[in-house]
Amino acid sequence: MRGKKVSQMKILIRDNKIITRKKLFENKEKFHKEQAKLPFEEKIRILIRLQEIAKSIHKSAFGGKLGVWKIPSKSRSK
Amino acid sequence: MKKTIAVLNQLRKKGLIKNYAIGGGIATIFYVEPFFTYDLDVFIIPSGTVKKQNLILLSPIYNYLQAKGYKWKGEHILIEGVPVQFIPADEFEKEAVARAKAVEYEGVKTKVMAPEYLVALLLRAGRKKDMEKTEKLLEQTKIDRRKLRAILRKYGLTRKFDLL
Repeated sequence: MRGKKVSQMKILIRDNKIITRKKLFENKEKFHKEQAKLPFEEKIRILIRLQEIAKSIHKSAFGGKLGVWKIPSKSRSK
Repeated sequence: MKKTIAVLNQLRKKGLIKNYAIGGGIATIFYVEPFFTYDLDVFIIPSGTVKKQNLILLSPIYNYLQAKGYKWKGEHILIEGVPVQFIPADEFEKEAVARAKAVEYEGVKTKVMAPEYLVALLLRAGRKKDMEKTEKLLEQTKIDRRKLRAILRKYGLTRKFDLL
């Protein structure tokens, strides 16, 4: 399958909903753009969560230490 | 980060720096979806330079911060839990600092480099991770293309941009 055929490939997702592969990637793109519109403060909260995830993965894989911003709990994840 | 920004504003108020703007990954995050990064790059226009030796004096800033109890961690100074890297601005970055966007973080005023300058500075740096950020900026935020083109022309980056 190539080109148009691939983009029209159907995928069954939650609640028996069927979407095309093309639509799936369009939705992904939309999600990224929506995330980009989040308030700066919310993005920093997400960043700290990412730092925490990276730290735990790094620790279990390499035993090393990665830093996480130590800012007051109000600014951290809710 | 609110307290970190307040400290940056103090540096300016006390005359230890003339001006500053947040650049790098955190500035990019201001405009695009969050991604992993660690340090807070702060581009500064220092108050003190020894012109004869072309030497930029950052020691007054560091002395002030160390006196306040902030400690070094590698290349960064930890200010209120955030690793900050102070980068003395070159001519290009000085323009980016001067034209940075005034924003608020939890009610504290700060400045973040405009996306057009971020794209141009990331292009100039040209590492793989910089190009990834450039792509995110071009895809996820509104870029004033005319403004961007003018910056790229001025700093000889048009060809690099067109090759993207």
